[in-house]
Amino acid sequence: MAQKNKEEALAVRLVAGGATVLAVSVLSDSGMEHYRGSFRDPAMVLPLLSSAASIGFNARRAGAHPERAPDSEGTEISHLISTSIGIIGFGFHAYNVLKRPGGMRLVNLFYGAPVGAPVALTLAGALGKTADALSRNNGMIGPIDLKDGRVIAGVTSIGLVGTVAEAALLHFRGAYHDPFMWLPIIVPPIAAVSLARDAIDNVPRPVTTALLGTTAALGLIGVGFHAYGVARNMGGWKNWRQNLLAGPPVPTPPAFTGLAIAGLGALLLMRTAKKKRSHA
Amino acid sequence: MSSDPQENPRARDGRAPDVFTPGGWVPMREHDDADEVDFAIVGTGAGGGTLACKLAEAGFSVVAFDAGPYWRPLEEFASDETHQEKLFWTDQRIVDGNNPIKMGSNNSGKAVGGSTVHFAMVSLRMRPEHFATRSKLGYAVDWPIDWQEMWKYYAQVEQALHIAGPVNYPWGPHRPRYPLRPHPLNAAAEYLARGAEALGTKWTETPLATVSAPIGKSHPCVYRGFCVTGCTTNAKQSVLTAWLPRALKAGAEIRDLAMVGRIETGKDGRVTGLHYIRNGQWRFQKAKNVIVAGYAIETPRLLLNSACDRFPDGLANSSGLVGKNLMVQLNQAAWGQVKDDVRSYKGPPSLAVSEHWNYTDTGKDYDGGWSYMSQGPLPITWAKSLAGGRGLWGQALIDEMARNNHSVGLKMVGECMPDENNRVTLADEKDQYGLPITRITYALTDNDKRMRDHAVRFMRDSLQATGATECWEEMDDTCHLNGTARMGDDPATSVVNADCRSWDIPNLWVCDGSVFPTVGGVNPSLTIQALACRTADRIKAMAARGEL
Repeated sequence: MAQKNKEEALAVRLVAGGATVLAVSVLSDSGMEHYRGSFRDPAMVLPLLSSAASIGFNARRAGAHPERAPDSEGTEISHLISTSIGIIGFGFHAYNVLKRPGGMRLVNLFYGAPVGAPVALTLAGALGKTADALSRNNGMIGPIDLKDGRVIAGVTSIGLVGTVAEAALLHFRGAYHDPFMWLPIIVPPIAAVSLARDAIDNVPRPVTTALLGTTAALGLIGVGFHAYGVARNMGGWKNWRQNLLAGPPVPTPPAFTGLAIAGLGALLLMRTAKKKRSHA
Repeated sequence: MSSDPQENPRARDGRAPDVFTPGGWVPMREHDDADEVDFAIVGTGAGGGTLACKLAEAGFSVVAFDAGPYWRPLEEFASDETHQEKLFWTDQRIVDGNNPIKMGSNNSGKAVGGSTVHFAMVSLRMRPEHFATRSKLGYAVDWPIDWQEMWKYYAQVEQALHIAGPVNYPWGPHRPRYPLRPHPLNAAAEYLARGAEALGTKWTETPLATVSAPIGKSHPCVYRGFCVTGCTTNAKQSVLTAWLPRALKAGAEIRDLAMVGRIETGKDGRVTGLHYIRNGQWRFQKAKNVIVAGYAIETPRLLLNSACDRFPDGLANSSGLVGKNLMVQLNQAAWGQVKDDVRSYKGPPSLAVSEHWNYTDTGKDYDGGWSYMSQGPLPITWAKSLAGGRGLWGQALIDEMARNNHSVGLKMVGECMPDENNRVTLADEKDQYGLPITRITYALTDNDKRMRDHAVRFMRDSLQATGATECWEEMDDTCHLNGTARMGDDPATSVVNADCRSWDIPNLWVCDGSVFPTVGGVNPSLTIQALACRTADRIKAMAARGEL
């Protein structure tokens, strides 16, 4: 492993940590939702396996001793598989929506397989691969140089926008009946835009750090709100076996947290690269 | 004393049931019989319950009477069709005519909240032109109210009931977005959608009065499917759960198990109050105004039963039209069998709708409009359809019932023409209260029959376009009751004016489905509630001007 300064090492841990949180969200969400769908298609088990593997590899890289993380072909393959399964899942989910009468009708987007959800797995794979590259391959994926953090910032920003779109659609399905449902539609987009602007300008701004921090916190607070949403279904938490599936998905809001943490890693890389430039 | 709500009144001693809390109560303002209340309302359904809320909120003193019990849906509604017949008005009535109406299930209710306690929650607006069928489409009579005004009140009711409907409604003028998003389609609704698409017509998710998100104390609908036998979760926005809690909060009194038998008239020709029986005792409630909202059978019955020396033909009946122009709606169906599991009884029964033939005037050999919806009959209802509508019995019926999961159907709600020969009159027989029962005389007009024939043909085509086989038509069913105290602009040809105020007696009002001059091709509950909201606004305005 190349010698890195402390900040760079922390940045890699943040990117890997973001990927871990995303994978945890995917594992628990797809676990619940695909269970609700009775695993009718055997392929529905794949995101569970790959997100579980992703958690294993990324968590070690994010942990206190990232130097002990395995640098094997297995890691590479796991990230590649996660990325691919996310993309394939996107296709499956889109097909599930489009085969319904009315096709791209809102009611099908509301109640069909959530089109955006599998992309979270792709992002977990991509971020995991990125963290790997940063710590092993001199920060390169093919011709793409990740070291200055800008590409990661861009990917994270796009990921946030996609997650916001998903939340906006499903909160619209719930008619924004609780005003707090607007929070994930308002804050993360600002964070995403700020992060994208930083990436384009190559200027890591403190406001972006604050926005990403808020977004990360919102993802966790969202778990609480969704748990309350479950309680508002018939029978509340006493009827958890039905209401966990019928109510708002408890595991999904941390997807924001995962992306925001990865974004913070990207910002840290940008700051380090900037310092290096000014020293040079 | 027994706690059976069918035996002993519950709304008394200053409290009424809290329908949202098992065993709970809410405080209720009570009035003495001798208090001359501003409004005594007969009936607590879509018309009376809504008015009780609106008038109480406007500061009037209100007592609303209902012959039925005050149910607690969370505790007392079973997932059992037979048990839930307790929600229906099954008192004795005589039906005759060429097409006698089947009374006592889908077309009436005897409970606080009226038939909205077991309605299918379908909340459609009448097409604008259907408020002026004579001048716009050349048949029947015009309403005395402009469609734009009605549509304004529709929006108000849709907000109050948190209607879950499509994001964009495909027919008619622009309407505001429904407060909640549509419910998911069940397989039966998908068959309607596929059929409509195959035939090149539009379809949409049915706007329903059951919440798709948690609202107040109502949990989101759990798609249990027993909607028409009474919702046990309070997702349904019935008058019992939506308007009456507000009414009680605003100071209205509800008297359950209180059958009103007669409205009293004073020497000046104004009504002075009403006689009602509660706890086996006849009592007299004094009132400055009486509003009759007993639906199209009990409303004319009460008006006719209240005949006195001054009004020997019954109250508000100088036109002779009380009880006349009864209109049902056509409720015929087409059914078929498909390969996949439909389980149409899952979820609300009518999740998809087509109003194509409400908004299309060409290609018809009849006047009027109709809509059709996907269906989800519960087992006993289905058995009755197969036995009565299809003539199956014995082993054939059992075999067919076993295939129920693969049955799929479409059912119409069609506009019947007003006809004075279709009427409610008093019979000589008396009921358990000692009141003369009604004779309900009905015959479909030729126009109705032509509509029916076209509709079942079209619905059958739609089913067949989705691959359904063994299609058959259920020809003998009706729903809803309207039109026996018609509103209009002319005292000679109507019973009440546009404000639901009787022409003959200024402090006697009628506000329910009986005032409909025409019924349109949609379920009437939303229209009744819109009318009630409008009437309340008109009463407020008239009271402010001292015109009551």
